[in-house]
Amino acid sequence: MTLRPSPSNLCRSAGCTLTGALSVTTHVCDAITVVHGPAGCTHHNFSLLHATSLDNDHVSLPPLVSTGLSETDVIFGGEGALDRTLDQVIARDPGAVFVLSTCIVDTIGDDVGMVCGSKAGVPVIVVPTAGFLGGSFQTGVNNALVALAGLAEPATGNGRVNIIGEKNLEYEVDENFAEVSRLLTLLDLSVNVRFVHDVTTRQITSLGAARLNVLRDPSLIPVGEYLRERFGTPYIPGYPVGISGTITFLESVAGACGIDPRHAVEQEITLRQETLDDFADIAGLGVSFFPHPPDPEGGRVAQDIAQALRLDITSSGRPVPVPMTPPIGITGVRRMLHRWRRALHV
Amino acid sequence: MKQIALYGKGGIGKSTTSANLSAALSLAGYNVLQIGCDPKRDSTRMLMQGRLIPTVMDQVRERGAESVSPADVVYTGFNGVRCVEAGGPEPGVGCAGRGIIATFQLLEKFGTLTGDVIVYDVLGDVVCGGFAMPMREGYAQEVYLVTSGELMSLYAANNICKAIQRLSARPKSRCRLAGVICNAKNQPKEEDLVAEFAHRVNSHLVQFIPRDRTVQLAELNRKTVIEYDPASAQATVYRNLAARVMENTRFTIPTPLGIDDLEALAIEFM
Repeated sequence: MTLRPSPSNLCRSAGCTLTGALSVTTHVCDAITVVHGPAGCTHHNFSLLHATSLDNDHVSLPPLVSTGLSETDVIFGGEGALDRTLDQVIARDPGAVFVLSTCIVDTIGDDVGMVCGSKAGVPVIVVPTAGFLGGSFQTGVNNALVALAGLAEPATGNGRVNIIGEKNLEYEVDENFAEVSRLLTLLDLSVNVRFVHDVTTRQITSLGAARLNVLRDPSLIPVGEYLRERFGTPYIPGYPVGISGTITFLESVAGACGIDPRHAVEQEITLRQETLDDFADIAGLGVSFFPHPPDPEGGRVAQDIAQALRLDITSSGRPVPVPMTPPIGITGVRRMLHRWRRALHV
Repeated sequence: MKQIALYGKGGIGKSTTSANLSAALSLAGYNVLQIGCDPKRDSTRMLMQGRLIPTVMDQVRERGAESVSPADVVYTGFNGVRCVEAGGPEPGVGCAGRGIIATFQLLEKFGTLTGDVIVYDVLGDVVCGGFAMPMREGYAQEVYLVTSGELMSLYAANNICKAIQRLSARPKSRCRLAGVICNAKNQPKEEDLVAEFAHRVNSHLVQFIPRDRTVQLAELNRKTVIEYDPASAQATVYRNLAARVMENTRFTIPTPLGIDDLEALAIEFM
């Protein structure tokens, strides 16, 4: 028994463990995800993933299959339904099959690991995702990443860098990735695996060859630790955030890889100054943040940027929007400043 | 229509008592339905001449709930007593409690829950919501506890009192404790002990059933005592039980004991 209390005050934002795991597994292009539970768990998540990807200008039908548990399966146990579904899915010859559990399946105690262990020919990987055990959306993401790391094969180092745990549902997922790639390029580094964003099972096999892992944000530290233990790969705990984030990021990455960062940092300082110069027209104006920054870090980042432009933060200032997650890198800051400019020039 | 449920520790004799009670009631002229609510499915065996009848859950598993008909699940046993076994999953998998709920829904749909008396013979412990189903609104309003004078048996009976107390607190609930049946293990002062237990949990001893070899002999002959040896003293005991159940009007909300009180009670009658 886990006996983890569900944080009741977080019930609107902590999310569903299954959805978190699906945001990861559905981004393995040649794999199929089996959701072991009633059809509704799959339908609801399918709609959410489909609608979100449409919103992100990306048309995709997530490869999901439900075991479609009925009351009869609940009474007699759902292992037979899982077994049958797995046989059908494996016959389609996917690169891998991911099996995600649901609340009801863990309530009645189906032995999902046993059923999956009996299959051969295609990797069948279990991701524990019953949400009522106290997990959140992030728990699902982390569980999925750790489970999918099981696809990695022993590898010799290739000197490249993995991106770990991209937020596949966020609108700026590709822009943020591009920004981090830009910074890595400044240090003559290239990306090994986007773990996991639009990759194939085969690409994941080289996960252990990277010299460094860059985590999307610090909530993925347990995953970073797991990968460090398993492959000996060090990690950077998060993407660069805010106006100074890119410079610290370059220094950390260079430090971890034993590279001299000075040239890259100089270039980045120039870019930062150019960005601030580009927004000189709004410098010195009075602003207020709206909506109120959702977390202390978001508030701090917005404040730093405002200060760099000598904006006056007062409650009577013109409201400027602060995004739900802090802007990533100079590109993210630039995007946010464009929105501020629009708000200020109304 | 009278609906009664028998609860008590596993192996205490609920099925033997239920089957003999149903047999006696049917001979008294009542139209009786007995429903075994235990995946072990042996509640009605003595009414069916030793036959383990197909269970509701077996039928649902084999043909799907849509194709099951009343004739597949209701079997007529001794003297016209209608017999149903809920059944359930194989030991160790699935959810037996949900099986009981599904059985009730199906029987409801079939209109099977009719007659003068329905006897629900339920699993030893009310382990989850499913096994409390017979106590819920619309089903048995009279719960009988079957117990011996042994501490573990009284302990189980006391636990069931907690379930009745909880359920009876719900609005509109009419589930009540109707009495305690002592199925004796031939301990000294056993009747007094169980009568005192019944009194302390705010109920009464309905029937003392002495331990008698006739029960084993009847069972070996795949019959109830009522059928196997109607002239025996034991058959008279079961007929008395049937009469008292039909006359009983004392239905209470039980007051379960703490474990210390229960132990002290057992020591008092050692």
